[in-house]
Amino acid sequence: SEAKAGRTDLIFLIRFRHCCLLRNQRCLLAYLYDRLLRIRALRWEYGSVLPNTVQFHMAAEEVEWFNRYKKSLATYMRSVGGEEGLDLTQDLKPPKSLYIEVRCLRDYGEFEIDDGTTVLKKDCDTTPLLKKNSQHFLPRWKCEQLIRQGVLEHVLS
Amino acid sequence: QRVLLLVASDVDALCACKILQALFQCDHVQYTLVPVSGWQELETAFLEHKDQFKYFVLINCGANVDLLEILQPEEDTFFFVCDSHRPINVVNVYNDTQIKLLVKQDDDLDVPAYDDIFRDDEDEEEDSENESDGSEPSEKRRRFEEDVIERTMKRRQRREWEARRREILFDYEQYEYHGTSSAMVMFDLAWIMSKDLNDMLWWAIVGLTDQWVQDKITQMKYVTDIGILQRHVSRHNHRNEDEENSLSIDCMRIAFEYDLRLALYQHWSLYESLCNTSYTSASLKLWSVQGQKRLLDFLADMGLPLKQVKQKFNSMDMSLKENLREMIEESANKFGMKDLRVQTFSIHFGFKNKFSASDIVYATASLMENIEKEGPETTNFIKALDSLSRGNLDKLHQGLDLAKKQLRAIQQTVASCICTNLVISQGPFLYCSLMEVRIFDVKLFSKPVSLCLLSKYLLKSFVCSTKNKRCKLLPLIMAAPMDVEQGTVIMVGIPPETESSDKKNFFGRAFEKAADSTSSRTLHNHFDMSIIELKTEDRSKFLDALISLLS
Repeated sequence: SEAKAGRTDLIFLIRFRHCCLLRNQRCLLAYLYDRLLRIRALRWEYGSVLPNTVQFHMAAEEVEWFNRYKKSLATYMRSVGGEEGLDLTQDLKPPKSLYIEVRCLRDYGEFEIDDGTTVLKKDCDTTPLLKKNSQHFLPRWKCEQLIRQGVLEHVLS
Repeated sequence: QRVLLLVASDVDALCACKILQALFQCDHVQYTLVPVSGWQELETAFLEHKDQFKYFVLINCGANVDLLEILQPEEDTFFFVCDSHRPINVVNVYNDTQIKLLVKQDDDLDVPAYDDIFRDDEDEEEDSENESDGSEPSEKRRRFEEDVIERTMKRRQRREWEARRREILFDYEQYEYHGTSSAMVMFDLAWIMSKDLNDMLWWAIVGLTDQWVQDKITQMKYVTDIGILQRHVSRHNHRNEDEENSLSIDCMRIAFEYDLRLALYQHWSLYESLCNTSYTSASLKLWSVQGQKRLLDFLADMGLPLKQVKQKFNSMDMSLKENLREMIEESANKFGMKDLRVQTFSIHFGFKNKFSASDIVYATASLMENIEKEGPETTNFIKALDSLSRGNLDKLHQGLDLAKKQLRAIQQTVASCICTNLVISQGPFLYCSLMEVRIFDVKLFSKPVSLCLLSKYLLKSFVCSTKNKRCKLLPLIMAAPMDVEQGTVIMVGIPPETESSDKKNFFGRAFEKAADSTSSRTLHNHFDMSIIELKTEDRSKFLDALISLLS
């Protein structure tokens, strides 16, 4: 408004402030973008259901963005790989064996493999009771998620 | 998940478990491994998992009781039992649907014949005689008398049969002993499947050595089994002799050795090992002053300087180590120790790593019964299981350190028990109690395997120290505090120490009967029936009942 009043000597101050504002805006955008990238990585790390501690720290719009990303990833995975679709979040590193030996690091209880929105329909017989220090020999695809979450530990012999 | 493995807590079971795990991994059989240390844990684990599993494999547990009665499984569950405990319960032997026993073919089971024990219930009913109608009264009465005579004859026969059955079963189940090591049975299985490896052979060797260290099998059986394993060892490990085709030094090799019977001597100093091995300590009577002098004489006889002998074994002079075994054997013969050398195997891999089978047994056993608890009981089991793999040398070394501590504690306890005359004769057996003794590490002996080891060493030393001829032939019962807060005591009974002992232990049944007759609060939790836990207050009446039972 002061510029409109025609005081030309304040132009520099205004430009300076404007640059600062633009810079702050760029920083914020960079921060928000970085958060989005991390949230995207969370889908690959945790699977389709985020633990509560993580969701607590996300804004509502971010949660919505995550859900939409999930859906688009699922659509893509369904379109690739024939009839059943291909779960790309499995086997991020080439596996050495079909079955692996795992040890349970903390009490987890029983759980049914729930892949949420993915299309894989393998026969999900329940995994065994996961008590601390029990050892199991299971197919790799069942254990991957839990290994990533730190519940199971791959035992190399 | 197809199979649940229930593994008992002893080294033989661990070795058998490792072999079986390797076979399962080879064939992609999904399994879950649950360690159990007693009947209660076995039942709990079974109840937790029975909905998900149809096949159960029990290693070193479950053969000597009626499994179906205790576990009450469904019709379609199967149990595969690989257990070295004998006698095998007759129900388990004759059950041909749900229980499958893994036993070596030439293992002598001595099971009583089927007809002597089981019998279909026929014509039990007293009132099955149908009254035919319309017959004359006199005829009826005659028939009635004949029927009565027939029925009394049948009843008498049945009573005789039952009495004979009780006698047969009593004889069969009276003594407890051990059959072939489960690890060897598993290795046999692997060999038949042509999937045996050098690693599995080593585990079989460790399993057999565990039976020998814990004095569970006779000398003859040990030597026979060593012969069997020796054939496998030469089959797997014959490539060293050929200079051109020799293996890299990092590959694992097993070698047969006629080695010294000194515990852990290659990882300790020779002096310490001589002091802490029960055979030498008992023969030289090292708890007394003359014993110490005799030890010094023994070393002097061999020409080994004291300074060298007290050093770590690896740092001893090469010139002394070269003929060490023969030298020691010669001198030992002069001092009355005729069996200082024993046939065993050792494993080599890399430049530094050479272990004898008994070293591994001591290390693994002490890891499993480590009282410094860092978590639930199963952590120790898992650590011990890991230490059997060659990649986990740090755990093995930790085990060796713990084993040294344990052996020292055992020798100190034995020395103090003998010097203070704590071993008293109660008539039919000897008794020793650690309840009032001021020992630094009495908690070490609240675990069954350590307590058994202590008892055997104590009995050996006592037999060497006492002059009473009758006492030398008596068995020993040992009591140690188990849990101070709950006020429980653990008691162990071991058979007498004789040259040609057949290692048969009758304390299992004796403990049961004494507990029943005095209604003491006891817990027969361990798979070995000769180990029992009871409340401290009930100890004296329990002992009195035992004395009257066995005299």
